[in-house]
Amino acid sequence: MKKLLLSVLSLVFIAGVGNVGAESRDYISIVGSSTVYPFSTVVAENFGKTTKFKTPKIESTGSGGGHKLFGAGVGVQHPDITNSSRRIQKSEVETAMKNGINEIVEIKIGYDGIVIANSKKAKQFNLTRKDIFLALAANVPNPDGTPTVVPNPYKTWKDVNPELPAMAIEVLGPPPTSGTRDAFVELVMETGGKKFEFIKAMEKADGKQFKSICHTVREDGPYIEAGENDNLIVQKLDANPNALGIFGFSFLDQNADKLQGSVVEGVAPVFEAIADGSYPVSRPLFFYVKKAHVDQIPGIREYLKEFTSEKAWGDEGYLTDKGLIPMPAAERKKYSDIANNLTPLNASDL
Amino acid sequence: MYQASETINHKVETKMTENPLPGKRKSQLVDRNVRETVGQAKVPNFRMRCENVNVYYQFGEKKAINNVTLDIGKNEVIAMIGPSGCGKSTFIRCLNRMNDTIEGCRVEGTILLDDTDIYDKKIDVVPLRARIGMVFQKPNPFPKSIYDNIAYGPKIHGLVQNRQETDELVEQSLKRAGLWNEVKDRLTQPGTGLSGGQQQRLCIARTIAVNPEVILMDEPCSALDPIATAVIEDLIDELKKEYSIAIVTHSMQQASRVSQRTAFFHMGDLIEIGPTDQIFLSPLHQLTNDYITGRFG
Amino acid sequence: MNKPENTTSGSVRTVDLVQKGLARRYKAEKRFRRMGLCAISFSLLCLAVLFISIFGSGYSAFQQTVIELDIVLDPSGLNPNNLAGADFNGLVKTALYNMFPEVKDRGEKKKLLSLLSSGAAYKLADFVKAHPDRIGKALSLWVPADDDVDMLMKGHINRNLPETERRLNDQQISWIEALEEQGKIKKKFNTTFFTAGDSREPELAGIWGATCGSFYTLVITLILSFPIGVAAAVYLEEFAPKNRFTDIIEVNINNLAAVPSIVFGLLGLAVFLNFFELPRSSSLVGGLVLTLMTLPTIIIAGRAALKSVPPSIREAALGVGASKTQMVAHHVLPLAMPGMLTGTIIGMARALGETAPLLMIGMVAFIVDIPGGFTDPSTALPVQIFLWADSPERGFMEKTSAAIMVLLVFLVIMNSAAVYLRKKYEKRW
Repeated sequence: MKKLLLSVLSLVFIAGVGNVGAESRDYISIVGSSTVYPFSTVVAENFGKTTKFKTPKIESTGSGGGHKLFGAGVGVQHPDITNSSRRIQKSEVETAMKNGINEIVEIKIGYDGIVIANSKKAKQFNLTRKDIFLALAANVPNPDGTPTVVPNPYKTWKDVNPELPAMAIEVLGPPPTSGTRDAFVELVMETGGKKFEFIKAMEKADGKQFKSICHTVREDGPYIEAGENDNLIVQKLDANPNALGIFGFSFLDQNADKLQGSVVEGVAPVFEAIADGSYPVSRPLFFYVKKAHVDQIPGIREYLKEFTSEKAWGDEGYLTDKGLIPMPAAERKKYSDIANNLTPLNASDL
Repeated sequence: MYQASETINHKVETKMTENPLPGKRKSQLVDRNVRETVGQAKVPNFRMRCENVNVYYQFGEKKAINNVTLDIGKNEVIAMIGPSGCGKSTFIRCLNRMNDTIEGCRVEGTILLDDTDIYDKKIDVVPLRARIGMVFQKPNPFPKSIYDNIAYGPKIHGLVQNRQETDELVEQSLKRAGLWNEVKDRLTQPGTGLSGGQQQRLCIARTIAVNPEVILMDEPCSALDPIATAVIEDLIDELKKEYSIAIVTHSMQQASRVSQRTAFFHMGDLIEIGPTDQIFLSPLHQLTNDYITGRFG
Repeated sequence: MNKPENTTSGSVRTVDLVQKGLARRYKAEKRFRRMGLCAISFSLLCLAVLFISIFGSGYSAFQQTVIELDIVLDPSGLNPNNLAGADFNGLVKTALYNMFPEVKDRGEKKKLLSLLSSGAAYKLADFVKAHPDRIGKALSLWVPADDDVDMLMKGHINRNLPETERRLNDQQISWIEALEEQGKIKKKFNTTFFTAGDSREPELAGIWGATCGSFYTLVITLILSFPIGVAAAVYLEEFAPKNRFTDIIEVNINNLAAVPSIVFGLLGLAVFLNFFELPRSSSLVGGLVLTLMTLPTIIIAGRAALKSVPPSIREAALGVGASKTQMVAHHVLPLAMPGMLTGTIIGMARALGETAPLLMIGMVAFIVDIPGGFTDPSTALPVQIFLWADSPERGFMEKTSAAIMVLLVFLVIMNSAAVYLRKKYEKRW
């Protein structure tokens, strides 16, 4: 009897609080990229501690997942901001429009470098994007020079490029669901593939085949998908000096005593090189704000102000401590103006 | 206690010596293959009357009781004997509709308690089981205190209104079951902590606490030692002054010691029924004779 | 073989045969036992490795490096009525600069300041709020050090490595050594870890928020799944007719118990979030989803417990004239309750360790504020572990292990409770 009473009471209670919860929200809800997550969480925490607002809630859903949730509609049950490690796609904007989200504010926050690193116990690698493409693509140009592709025959780095050590190719990297993988494929594999004239020609003639050659990573062993957890890759690299790993710059920055970034196209992945754009494998990071929510959910303006302040994303800001590569001052000015005025994104710019 | 069992043993011995040698009256006995009941099945002063009872198990696939007609008289103890699997337990469980709980079991025929048919659709089994109590083969006190064991039945049936009435009823029931002196100082202790014989008497006390008209006992002493058995048998003797009792037993000595009438079951048939002395001294049916002389069973 | 002629009786030959086979039988027995022992030792070894590795990397998280600052609470900048606007950060900075008067250069000052956690100013603010009477006086306060300093003090950073390979440079280490000499830096028990919510700074991060989230989630799970599970088990076991329909239900329940938990998360997303529009990331929804996940376990355990109640007790109750409901409520259910509770606790323990379904309903999130109710956004302990394990800062590695230890403690407590209940109430009939 007591139990029955208890359960009835609890159901009533749940129904009660459930209704209250669905009607209002007094904290900012943020979703999106796991690459932007470390940066937006720091901003959120500082924002929560220094203002009267609640600390925003941030979910790490991946860029794609974030845009999907973000674009689902307007209302308290939908997130206010989505983080993204790539620019929003036209199709995503269209979906959002269809769901009543007419104005999206785009804020670029800085750059993230993708590094190819190995343990300090081994020698530093000096790679080109062509080397990486040949080592990791599922199909590579026929070594005999004919303009055809064959399944990747290379077993060691020396096979790829005689200047590289005679070590077996063993690369730990992110799975296809990761934004890091998207960026890596785009920035490294495509560029590497284009070093071959016939593949470059393919881009215009047969985009599909071009993509299938450049975007398909080999699955016969040398490339090991290590999950979304970049820390795991760091630990594995430390234990296995023969392996290379692909991950975001912030992880290299935090583990500089254990790992070294490989030199790519003659540039080592150091802060300055990524910031001035000379390190070739870097990508911009963004977040997107639902303008319709700005005056509905308390604190969004203030959060934008905190994020776009010089003490956060400036050259000496606390985000650089977390590994974010800041934008040049002019670009920072541009985006902080957008944040202040809430200038919506123009779909035709994409 | 010990004294009591000795007297009973003595009584049995006398009876056994009067038993004529088997085989002598062979020619007068009813043939083995006759399955109709021999003897006086009905009594004028009955409490329960069973007529043409058939029991089926497994949704009618197996017949356990075949056309049994039998009366239980007022203030009498009727013993049901027979070899294992003969249906005596099945039959006794029909008498308070305990078989209802077994899936696929069906009972046909009429069973009257006084003049009501207990298998009538209008009959509610809950009050029925209060009128026809049952004691089981294995002592099965509730895992509660001795007091609660006794008080449970009266409480659910509303026979007691307050604590005082309950106390009185518990004491009275335990006294009638001959257990009061042994447990009066530990009524709050669990009933499962008693010895086997005490547990069985507790179960009897629990049964009589709801003041039934008939008590069914399904091999109540089979799990008990001889001394505890003797105490229970004395108790049955006492109880028959107020109740009608049907007892299933494997022990022919027990049947002869406690019952006035005995029914002999064999493979679902009631073979012979009659006064206990007659069944054991001069059975009419060949099978009965074989059984009581120990040729089978 | 010399067979003695005079003892050819069958019994003697049987004995011989038995003796002959005996050695083989004992050998088989020994072999079997040894295999069992090996299996047990192997699993114990694995467990030991797990515990040692977790404990080894996690125990240091229960300590925290703190630095003592001599702060003058200058009343000019501190208005007791408006403490929120006070520049506590400035006070902390001044105090630190005063300790190293030789540091003048702006870059050096920044390096010096990076020894302190950003939580130092919050710590001071809390102190002043609690003791407004101290304004205008000097005080010395232990404030948390930065996670890099913490790592160095705990020996996770090798001071002998070349400067470029450390996160702290030689100058910073010399400052730390100076503090060590003055006794102004020490390790103390890490209360922050047990009282704070999540943070991006390892030295400020704690598991209290996640613990509260787990607590609220489990409360919802318990108050829903236990009554529903028990009721379902009782009905199915005691009252439901045995027919094809109930067979299908039974098969489905057994199936559900084996369904991967992420499926329940997807269901929760579709039903509770999208249809009922309950607040995302709340422990309410988490509890509902975990209820769905735990129910089959409870129902199955409950039915097993009901089945194990001896039929003699049922007969006894029916025999004195109890109705079926009374029989179940008064006798069968109390006897089955320990088994049901055991099943429930084990189900709860599983729910406590679950991350996957929470992912789908937004409970895998960065949440700093301690949840204060069922609809507040919250995480759970395993989620916190997952999030920390994925953080780049070195300091989170030990925090991850420490959080695992805390979770293990909770699981051990719950499972011990299950064993205790079983032992205490088992076999009372």
